[in-house]
Amino acid sequence: MAHKLTTPAAVAAMLVAMLAPARAADYVQAPGSSLAFATKYDGEMFTGRFGGFDTRLSFDPERLDDARLDVTIELAGTRTGNADRDSTLLGADFFNVGKFAQARYVADRFRALGGDRYAADGTLSLRGVNRPVTLEFTWTPGRPALLSGRATVQRLAFGVGGGDWADTRTIPDEVAISTRVFLTPAP
Amino acid sequence: MSVRNTPERWGLVSQAFHWLIVALILVIAILGLTMGELPRTPKYFWVYTAHKSLGITVLALMLARLAWRLYAGAPTPAAGTPRWQAGIANLTHWLLYALALAMPLSGWLYDSASGLRPLRYFGQFELPKLVAPSEWIAGLAGQAHDLLFWVLAALVAAHAGAAFYHHLFQHDDTLVRMLPARRRVAPTRSPDHGP
Repeated sequence: MAHKLTTPAAVAAMLVAMLAPARAADYVQAPGSSLAFATKYDGEMFTGRFGGFDTRLSFDPERLDDARLDVTIELAGTRTGNADRDSTLLGADFFNVGKFAQARYVADRFRALGGDRYAADGTLSLRGVNRPVTLEFTWTPGRPALLSGRATVQRLAFGVGGGDWADTRTIPDEVAISTRVFLTPAP
Repeated sequence: MSVRNTPERWGLVSQAFHWLIVALILVIAILGLTMGELPRTPKYFWVYTAHKSLGITVLALMLARLAWRLYAGAPTPAAGTPRWQAGIANLTHWLLYALALAMPLSGWLYDSASGLRPLRYFGQFELPKLVAPSEWIAGLAGQAHDLLFWVLAALVAAHAGAAFYHHLFQHDDTLVRMLPARRRVAPTRSPDHGP
């Protein structure tokens, strides 16, 4: 049965009906969220936290085609528990924050992996390089909802730790990323 | 020269410990004071490894040296040395022993707490970590390592200065008896010394 698009009220009612479900699945990052990485130097494991990150997510398990994840990561302020290592990490050989202060991860292709598990195939922009990165995560609905995920980033593809640091016997190419993002509905 | 210490002079073992450790500390100090200027890239990390490995060597030698000192004793002060000078010299020796132990220990603690990379003795085998990574402990241990170095340098200057003073002005055997050289009969104070 066709809607009668004759009155402004009817149009408004229909727009609300269209928009409401989408809006309900839009989230922003809530406090307590974390984004960390882990790697090794000469076999000695260490972990780090970025200076900050901001997540925007549109996600409805029933409508994965409409899902979208957009994360902005502040590279300055990255901490690994050692000031010497941190200054090296922010320098030109690694993140080069003087030139690339932020990294960004955008994903709009999502797959269901069964149960509460999903994968997002997105693109990481880091140090001026764009490469595909897959984030696998579990989704726990609620207020806040929780996205708990892991990804692997090949650091050398982004030029992180080039030159003298490129030897993968010293620092492996694969860097493990883990995140726990608490998400509240977007205002 | 006797292997053991005699009342007159230091024996072979004590002299070997003394001069070997002097040479090692000199090299370690030069490395330690300059390595911070090197670019912080893996190409130069062997210099840090050398500094740390030599320091661990001093630690091991110092433990053996202390055991030997407790077993073999020390020569008596050169004849004519006032008791207060002998007392200060004795105190300086034990402070030097303490510093020569505290330097490698604080350095090792600094390395462990920094958690940057494994500490392999001259690249050969891995030494245990004294503590888990901790910025707080690393900061304290690093400061102690820096500060104790200057205390050690001041003590070495006082100790060597006193030895030269005895040799050049007192004309006694205090310095010579730590040298392997000539067999010199103990207290020979020149008759024309003093008024």
